[in-house]
Amino acid sequence: MTSYDDADPVIFPAGAATQTSAAQAASEEWDAVIVGGGMAGSIVAEQLSQSGHKVLIVEAGPGKDLDLAEYESYLSRFYGAVVKDNQSPYPFNPNARMPRSTDTMPVGPDTPRDDFYLVQEDKYCSDTTFTRVLGGTSMHWEGKALRMLPEDFDLRTKYGQGLNWPLSYDDLEPYYRQAEAELGVSAEVEDQAYLGMHFPEGYVFPMHRMPPSYLDQTVARGVDGMRVNLADDDYTLRVRSFPQARNGVPNAAYDGGKGFVPVGAVSTSQVEEGERCQGNTNCVPICPVQAKYHAGKTLTKALSRGNVTIVTQAVASKVEIDEQDRRVTGITIKNYHSLDSESYDTYTVKGTVYVLCAHAIENARLMLASDMQRMSRSKLIGCNLMDHAYLLSWGLLPEPAGTMRGTSCTSGITDLRGGRFRGTQAGFGVDIHNDGWGWATGSPYTDLVELVDKQGLNGKELRRTLGNRISRQLLLAFMIDLLPERSNTVTVDERYKDALGNLKPVVSLKIPPYTMRGAAYARKLASDIFKRLGAEEMTAYDKDRYSAVEHDGQWYNIVGGNHLAGTHIMGTDPTTSVVDHTQQSWDHDNLYLVGPGSLPSIGTSNISLTMAALAYRSSTHIVRYLRAAKAPATVRG
Amino acid sequence: MSVPEPDPSQESKIKTIEELHEYLYKGLQLEHATLPPYLTALYSLQPGRNADAWHVIRVVAVEEMLHLTLVANVLNAVGGTPDLTKSGFVPDYPTYLPCGPDYFQVHLLPFSPDALDTFLKIEKPAQAPDEESRLVPVDWAALGLTSDGAAPPSEKMAEFEQSGTILGLVPGEPTQRFLSIGEFYEEIMRGINYLEDQARTAGTTIFTGDPARQVTPEYFYSGGGDVIEVTGRDSAVAALTLVAEQGEGLHGGIYDSQDEIAHYYRFQQLEKGKFYQKGDEPGAPSGPDLHVDWTAVYPVKPDVKLADLEGDPEIHTAAKEFNQSYAAFLRNINLAYNGRPDLLLKAVWEMFRIRDTMNRLIRNPLSGESGLNAGPTFEI
Repeated sequence: MTSYDDADPVIFPAGAATQTSAAQAASEEWDAVIVGGGMAGSIVAEQLSQSGHKVLIVEAGPGKDLDLAEYESYLSRFYGAVVKDNQSPYPFNPNARMPRSTDTMPVGPDTPRDDFYLVQEDKYCSDTTFTRVLGGTSMHWEGKALRMLPEDFDLRTKYGQGLNWPLSYDDLEPYYRQAEAELGVSAEVEDQAYLGMHFPEGYVFPMHRMPPSYLDQTVARGVDGMRVNLADDDYTLRVRSFPQARNGVPNAAYDGGKGFVPVGAVSTSQVEEGERCQGNTNCVPICPVQAKYHAGKTLTKALSRGNVTIVTQAVASKVEIDEQDRRVTGITIKNYHSLDSESYDTYTVKGTVYVLCAHAIENARLMLASDMQRMSRSKLIGCNLMDHAYLLSWGLLPEPAGTMRGTSCTSGITDLRGGRFRGTQAGFGVDIHNDGWGWATGSPYTDLVELVDKQGLNGKELRRTLGNRISRQLLLAFMIDLLPERSNTVTVDERYKDALGNLKPVVSLKIPPYTMRGAAYARKLASDIFKRLGAEEMTAYDKDRYSAVEHDGQWYNIVGGNHLAGTHIMGTDPTTSVVDHTQQSWDHDNLYLVGPGSLPSIGTSNISLTMAALAYRSSTHIVRYLRAAKAPATVRG
Repeated sequence: MSVPEPDPSQESKIKTIEELHEYLYKGLQLEHATLPPYLTALYSLQPGRNADAWHVIRVVAVEEMLHLTLVANVLNAVGGTPDLTKSGFVPDYPTYLPCGPDYFQVHLLPFSPDALDTFLKIEKPAQAPDEESRLVPVDWAALGLTSDGAAPPSEKMAEFEQSGTILGLVPGEPTQRFLSIGEFYEEIMRGINYLEDQARTAGTTIFTGDPARQVTPEYFYSGGGDVIEVTGRDSAVAALTLVAEQGEGLHGGIYDSQDEIAHYYRFQQLEKGKFYQKGDEPGAPSGPDLHVDWTAVYPVKPDVKLADLEGDPEIHTAAKEFNQSYAAFLRNINLAYNGRPDLLLKAVWEMFRIRDTMNRLIRNPLSGESGLNAGPTFEI
């Protein structure tokens, strides 16, 4: 029996009154049907609810109970998990599968059908993931909330690479601020005004920056002032704090001196928790006290207005389209009965406008499974899949540096995110990981196994050695720009279906030479930094891994960043893009595709803040669309 | 909820700024006195098995910290100096707290119906029906502090007060006490009004404290109410009203002015097995079910003292370490209330240390005590 067992005749437990049954949802007419209750879907729902619209959210995950009890069940599942990967807190759900980094392997038709969700037939496989529970990937994201650089919006014009956006940094700037307020970003303007990023006069972030960790300070001693030359330009490096969507110290100067009130935990009964960040270090995959933003915080506001309703356990399986006028007429959902059963009922939910917010891969998968490429003028649905290419470098510092204290990542090096060198090689940001080598080697578990099994240590000696080793670990993660390539794709294939008979996403992602030139440079830079810090180089890449990529005769391991984007990119022309600058589909008038799939490039910033800013921007357009669509028709006399 | 306008006919007992400072110090002492019993009960809950009870007790404990901070803000605003390090600031448990007409004993207990009963008594709303019944004489015989029922001699009285044996006595009139903590704060508000009126007549103010000593919302926030920066009469009354309302539901409300449920009603939910929701009448919560497992609790020895732990040297050492870290915690909070509000940020991880060291005690059985576990002694 799982806690999601449906034996109880009450459809939803107490505290979830705004949920509805799929049958009820299908019997009503909605102003907007939103597919996906993640960050983008929650923001759009909240914004539409503010203008009084009647909204249905279709959610694939169980999400039966929006209260703390469910959150805590995630926590206890995480604490009890042997492998603490991104999905470890969330229940296994055969009906709405999630990719797991531990599943990464090339898949052929003869591969057992249930061992994987992301189908990758190539030799290189990405271990990238996304989460399919209410709240979406915001349930496991790290909470870094960087803006994109102004130059990221016109890379093609500036450096002859990638694509230009139909928007500029200045167009998006007000929405960045709106997103920063919603996510509760902790940062200082003086730290973030670099490489052209600018803020209105007097702007302060909602909260002050997270304090840099002792490890950050140790790395800064070696790095600050370090000079590098790239493509004839000199760059001086320094360790800089990252903006983070987690509760810190509210800035009293925020909003013209009104200050900022941080949002605590989501709960339906009065059991407050979730104040400031306590530095638990397991921001990924779940913050124990909800100091980190997740979409549930926005969703709660939307639901409290009474005009937003959720139907859960409902996997969108087809976008229904009128072949004549190409308008969307409904979303067909498979409403499964429980996590343990493959039985389901099929319904079609209907609205005036439809908003797909199911993340880059699921949005594309759903549209392709609905045969929408046939009607697409650009034929670009599912193309241009992007993620950040991550290159990890790890070394052992000469002295304990407090690794494992503080949030996952508080600072990094951002000076090489932009510059003229991007004409020939990818830019990158560098994260200093407070959680040691975990991502690269599986530390501290692998350290423990090695010290016991290979070195035969036990007792005090084991404790001392383990503590000493872990507190000296330095992991630098290079987040490298991956430009849109038409051949990097999400497709569907009749050979691969999930338990409900939905087509699984088939992913083909290759790391292009432009990105690998950035990776090769990053590798050398990591070695130089380790030398300056007196750290022992421990980095070792394995050419037999699925993450192995060869470049200039060297092998590297390139791991996924879970920053998936690009599968329905925005542009100015229906023949070269899938959505316009409002994220409205070029091909279907009453369809908006809101989420990272619309980004024409991702530069070197984690995508969530930009996605959230775009969701706010699109919401204003969707509200306008609904107002026009619902306006009484003028009868000419 | 609005606070009634001060009635000029209600005479203030507080006539000098020194008396006001003394009252506020006693307020700090009272607010703190609830923390050791709440924390002992909280950490006696076995992990993961009593989530509802855990959250209810936890939020009350956090709000007691908020109350402590609010009272310190008022004291600082009127030019006083909070001191959480005075001998006797931390009571010697079991201690006596006032409840209605009677005193009752507050023990350090694991979570249990008895503990809950104590918590309900601590937070019980009681408003005096009239001016005469706001003060009650202390029944010394019932307390077992004097054999003949007469007030103890003054040096004995000072000893009781200093050792934290009996809390809530009226400053300057130690044979009397207020009917409730709410009435105690009511008296402070009258005093503030009286003294401020006097000062204003003379062209001055009693709010002479350094604003830099105020703890502002940057340094303290939680789900349970906001810190109020005290800069004058209105904010002082707002802060004290929040303390009184949030504790006992003064003025009879289940919800306080910041829409938080008063502690009395929070605890009552554990007794009734139901959450309150908006629109409920006191005593009849009608919200979702609340589950309590009275068995999923570590059997902490009641009112355990260091002397009880001598048979277990490792536990004895751990208990001494706990007392030291708790004393250090109070010292740091005290510095925070004395011009270093940023030190409250550090208190977050100090609370983790307190939790961890309490867990070390609470999860360890005592030898020779047939099934009882150790616990924190709070002998500071």
